[in-house]
Amino acid sequence: MTSRPRLDLVLAALLPLATALAGCQPPHPAGQLVVASKSTLASVDPVDITTVGGLQLLSAIGDPLYAADAEGRIQPRLATALPQLSADGRTARIPLRRGVLFHDGSRFDAEALVFSLERFRALAKLGYLLDDRISTVQASGPYELELQLKRPYSALAALLSSISLTPLSPTAYRQHRGSSLADRFVGTGPYRLASSTPQKQTLLPFDRYWGPPPRNKGIHLVTLSNSTALFGALVSGEVDVLTSSGMDSDQQRALARRAQQGRLVEAVGPPGEIGYLTLLSDRPPFNQPLLRQAVALSLDRPLISERVSYGIRAPLRSLVPPPLAGSKPPAWPAFNPSRARQLYRQAGYCQGRRLTLPLTFRSNVPADKLFALTWKAQLARDLGDCVQLEISGVESTTAYRQVADGAFPMVLFDWSADYPDPDIYLAPMLACSQAQGDQCRAGNAAAAGSFWSAPGLQAQLEASEQVEGPERLPLLQLLQRRTAAGAAYIPVWQVAPRAWAQPQLQRPVFDGSGRLQLQALSVR
Amino acid sequence: MSRRRHLLRYLASRLALVPVMLWLIASLVFLLLRVAPGDPIDALLGLRAPAEAREALRQQLGLDQPLLVQYGHYLGDLLHGQLGDSLANNEAVTSVIGRSLPASLELGVVALLIAAVLGLAVGFSGIARPEGRTDLAGRLYGIGTYALPPFWAAMVMQLVFAVWLGWLPVGGRFPATLVPPDGSGFYLLDSLRNGSGEQFWGSLRHLLLPATTLGLLLSGVFANALRLNLRRALDSDYVEAARSRGLSERRVVLRHALPNALLPVLTITGITVASLIGGALLIEVTYSWPGVAFRLQEAISQRDYPVVQGIVVVVAALVVAVSVLVDLVVALLDPRITF
Repeated sequence: MTSRPRLDLVLAALLPLATALAGCQPPHPAGQLVVASKSTLASVDPVDITTVGGLQLLSAIGDPLYAADAEGRIQPRLATALPQLSADGRTARIPLRRGVLFHDGSRFDAEALVFSLERFRALAKLGYLLDDRISTVQASGPYELELQLKRPYSALAALLSSISLTPLSPTAYRQHRGSSLADRFVGTGPYRLASSTPQKQTLLPFDRYWGPPPRNKGIHLVTLSNSTALFGALVSGEVDVLTSSGMDSDQQRALARRAQQGRLVEAVGPPGEIGYLTLLSDRPPFNQPLLRQAVALSLDRPLISERVSYGIRAPLRSLVPPPLAGSKPPAWPAFNPSRARQLYRQAGYCQGRRLTLPLTFRSNVPADKLFALTWKAQLARDLGDCVQLEISGVESTTAYRQVADGAFPMVLFDWSADYPDPDIYLAPMLACSQAQGDQCRAGNAAAAGSFWSAPGLQAQLEASEQVEGPERLPLLQLLQRRTAAGAAYIPVWQVAPRAWAQPQLQRPVFDGSGRLQLQALSVR
Repeated sequence: MSRRRHLLRYLASRLALVPVMLWLIASLVFLLLRVAPGDPIDALLGLRAPAEAREALRQQLGLDQPLLVQYGHYLGDLLHGQLGDSLANNEAVTSVIGRSLPASLELGVVALLIAAVLGLAVGFSGIARPEGRTDLAGRLYGIGTYALPPFWAAMVMQLVFAVWLGWLPVGGRFPATLVPPDGSGFYLLDSLRNGSGEQFWGSLRHLLLPATTLGLLLSGVFANALRLNLRRALDSDYVEAARSRGLSERRVVLRHALPNALLPVLTITGITVASLIGGALLIEVTYSWPGVAFRLQEAISQRDYPVVQGIVVVVAALVVAVSVLVDLVVALLDPRITF
């Protein structure tokens, strides 16, 4: 056995193969674009969709009744005017657009919308969005919808801007009135769904769309399962556009730098996601309002934002993110270690006695873990003689399960609204159906894990839901000030959606709900 | 009793244990999922759905029933070959598996081929001069590839071949702008059968990086196994006897030592195939390869009970089938084995 393997020959044989493979990269069909994200999609049926990626898809293949514009104003889309409310505010009539066709060629009308809304209420995982507010849905004319509300609701148009409520063709869904249709979609949007798998959806322009046609010849939405792969796919030119949902901060920062150097085009949408701390207010140690307020003053948001996300997760001192009404002025106090030390002292700490703050974070969310570690270090540096943070991670599903049982003295969560209105941020944290003093025994505040309420707060919340226009603003600000004083919730940061495109493309555009407008993507 | 009858008896006893084993696995996965904290309602609805909405969905999915009733339904369905529907989208679990299993198998088979070719070549290369440079390099290769963390190796390969060189795609199974071939779910075979070169090259380009990474990581085991067994065989009496008869060294190695050295490698191949049926989780996740391990990981995080149960049971059944088959093949090839 004296012959030696000729490695050089093997490599020489492999080189042409590699070159051939590299050369075989299929070109994108003219005018079609590849958009990548981290979201896999188990179903394209609105009744199943709850994720950011799913809602992004729906916004391209479906149409809402209303839509928020870039400034957050609600504008009619399939409706032709804002809801006309009865004197008691419990009946809403909505005139609908004529001449709109579904992707199967059937006509959109009030009956089709009633079919879709009823189906959504019966099947959807987010069906409670409608059930909480609306008692009946009916067609009061061929192109007019009538809604009976459970109580007056000023954010009705915003609620109806939820893309989950997009109308579906009754013809196509007749067999699926009582079951979901995971891999097909027949709606009215600017694109029709040509094919769909959990990892990839192909959208082609709907040539009979009622509105302006898309500026591209089609979109391929692809899923890559991690930040590194997404980053690599954009940098290598494999994809044309990348959305930030689920991407780690490191990669987002690297992409932002490339954009600054002109090697990519970056766009930022309105923030829709907030991160906040929930403090369990009915048990020690946080049953003392003084301590809760001290904790609120102990959070150095700008530092944490920079260390955790390079500033991508912007500091937030309101439960309602801008530009929504009531987000300004910030109701929660800024970092103030001397005031915090005073409060801890009043509570009996700092004089050789340290308070242990137990913080739970979701172990499967990288930013949450970084937050916990950074805040721990910041507290040790700034208030180490008064408090120490004890951190523990729990998987998100477990955390959601146990929070309503009062399992976590202090926990970090995030929240993305289904439609752009202050109410969808405040009601899920503050609504309380059974309050005793500053304790909530049943209702959203209990389910959210704070068990906190305040005398008259529920009435103020309901009042803010029923008032429109400028009169609503002081109510929203009052609600936030009272919540900030209670300090059972402490806002931490806000997350704005971002997108990066290849330099030859136009800058991507987001709508007022923070979704990328796929129909606006085009080559310069 | 003849050897053949012994073999059949052994096979019958192994097959008789299969249903018991599958029942145990199915029951265990059912129980573990329910014991694990969190439930599908929380995964589907998130944090802030009202209690009424949670209860309604719980009823709709049948999760409000007592555990024993759920277990009874589950076993009953299993006996009828039904694996249930996904809680996330009502898709039949058989269809979920039908879509993801071919992806894992295609990746596994190609990776195994690469591992075998690379591993056997490296394992064989040092035989001419034991403890020489080539042998030492082979040993280092074997240990090194075995010790490499899969996700790290996968990311480095992505960085070099996809991002820097741009030769191959970063991830996924098929080009975004092409329509995947219809058929068995094995894209290479399906595209060949369709006669579509574009689809074939598209599939191959996406397969090459994950398969090479996985093959590279597995090849060390093959290299070390062949090297050790070949060395042992070359030192054995029958090889000495062959040499003393004046046979050439090439003939001694290829005809006498190698076949015996390959038997343990065959067993390792069987174990590797069995482990690859369940997918290579880290490789699939890193390369966004929509295989069965990737799907299982998603289903576990969503607490999608039927999908997790279905995948585990089907994979377990296939693993058992492959191990029985490998035992059988080894027994047929090696007359020294007794039962």
